[in-house]
Amino acid sequence: MYDLVIIGGGPGGVAAGVYAARKKIKAALVTDTFGGQSLVSSGIENWIGTKSISGFDLAKNLEEHLRAQAGIDIIDGDLVSAVAKRDDGTFSMTTRNGKTLETKYILLTSGSRRKRLGVPGEDRFDGKGVVFCTTCDAPLFGGKTVAVVGGGNSALEGVEDLLQYASKIYLIVRSEILRGDPVTQEKVKSHPNVEISWNTVVEEIHGAGEPPFVNGITYKNVKTGESKELPLGGIFVEIGLVPNSDFVKDLVQLNEIGHVVVDHKTQQSSCPGIWAAGDVSDVLYDQNNISVGDAIKAVLNIYDRIKKG
Amino acid sequence: MAKVIIYSTPTCVYCKMAKEFFTKNGVMYEEFDVASDMKEREEMVAKSHQLGVPVIDIDGNTVVGFDQKTLEGLLGLK
Repeated sequence: MYDLVIIGGGPGGVAAGVYAARKKIKAALVTDTFGGQSLVSSGIENWIGTKSISGFDLAKNLEEHLRAQAGIDIIDGDLVSAVAKRDDGTFSMTTRNGKTLETKYILLTSGSRRKRLGVPGEDRFDGKGVVFCTTCDAPLFGGKTVAVVGGGNSALEGVEDLLQYASKIYLIVRSEILRGDPVTQEKVKSHPNVEISWNTVVEEIHGAGEPPFVNGITYKNVKTGESKELPLGGIFVEIGLVPNSDFVKDLVQLNEIGHVVVDHKTQQSSCPGIWAAGDVSDVLYDQNNISVGDAIKAVLNIYDRIKKG
Repeated sequence: MAKVIIYSTPTCVYCKMAKEFFTKNGVMYEEFDVASDMKEREEMVAKSHQLGVPVIDIDGNTVVGFDQKTLEGLLGLK
C-alpha cells in the first residue's frame, strides 16, 4: 500500500515526485512517457531558469531529476486505466500493462491529449495526410499545399514548423481571432505563403489513391453557411486539448470540458483522497511553470494530511 | 540479432526516443532520414501504408510510432 500514487510524468507529476521523495512519502509515479505535451515542442522559451530548451531535452531533464531521488517507485511505459475507491477510503488502480496498485491518496497530473476534429475522413486518413504531430511530420510535406486547423498557440507553431517545407499553408480558424503569442501571430499573418481562412470549419476530409491519401477537404464558412472544396496534400490538426480524466470520471467532479474541479488553495478534488494539478485540473492557465507550482502545492497538502494520520 | 531499420525525420521526437531505446538495450539499427531521402520515403510508405514517422522495421515486421511494448516483444527484450 502506497501513501501516494502520482499519475502522469509531465512537469507537474515530476515536481510532485521530487517533493514526495524529499518528504519521504511512500510514493509511486505512473507515466507512459516523461515531459508531458511539451515533449514534441521544438523550442520552449518560457521555462523559467532556462533560456531555450527543446521538449525532448526538457523531458530528459525531468526524468533525470526524478530518477535521482531515492525512495520513489517509477512505473514508466504504462498508464493507469481504472481507479476504484474502496470501502475503507483507500484506492486500488489497474494499469494498461495489468499491474495493480493500492494507495491511500492520489495526485492526478495526467494532463491533456490532442482533440480530434470528429469529421468524416479523419480516422480513415490518419497518418495518410492527416497529421497530429506537426513537428514530427512537417518535413514530409515539402512543396505541398497543406492546411493547419486551429487558432491557438499549437496551430501557430504548426504553421511555423511548416513554413520551411510546405509551398502554401491555409490556416483554418473557426472564429475571427487568433489566440496565441502576439509574436508568432505577426509572423504567421505577414508571411506570403500563409492564407488565413476566418470563420471556417472543416466538414470532411477527402482522399484517393492506393494507398489512399488525403487530396482535399470540404470546409464551411460558419457565417455565410457556404461550403467549399479545397485541394490539399496534407492537413494538420491543432485544435486544442481534452483532459485525461476519463479514468476518474465516476469518482470526482468534472467541469463541462472534463477538467477535474479542484479547490485552488489545496488542489483537492471533490473526492476525499484525490488531488489534481496541471492541465487535467480546472486551472485557468495551462502552463508548465504553473503545473509545477500547483503540483507541489498538492504534495505539501497531502504531506500535511499524512502527518495528521 | 534482429535486423532493425528506423525511418525518421530530424525533428521527430518519437524517433529520438526510439533510437535512445535501441541504444539503451544494445540494439543495432540502420536509420534513414525520410525528410531528404525520397527513395527510402517511398519504401517507408510501401511498408507502412502511411506517411508519418517513426516507422520501424524489425525483421520485416513494421511498427508505426514509438510503441515500446511492441518493440520489446519483437526484439525479445524483458
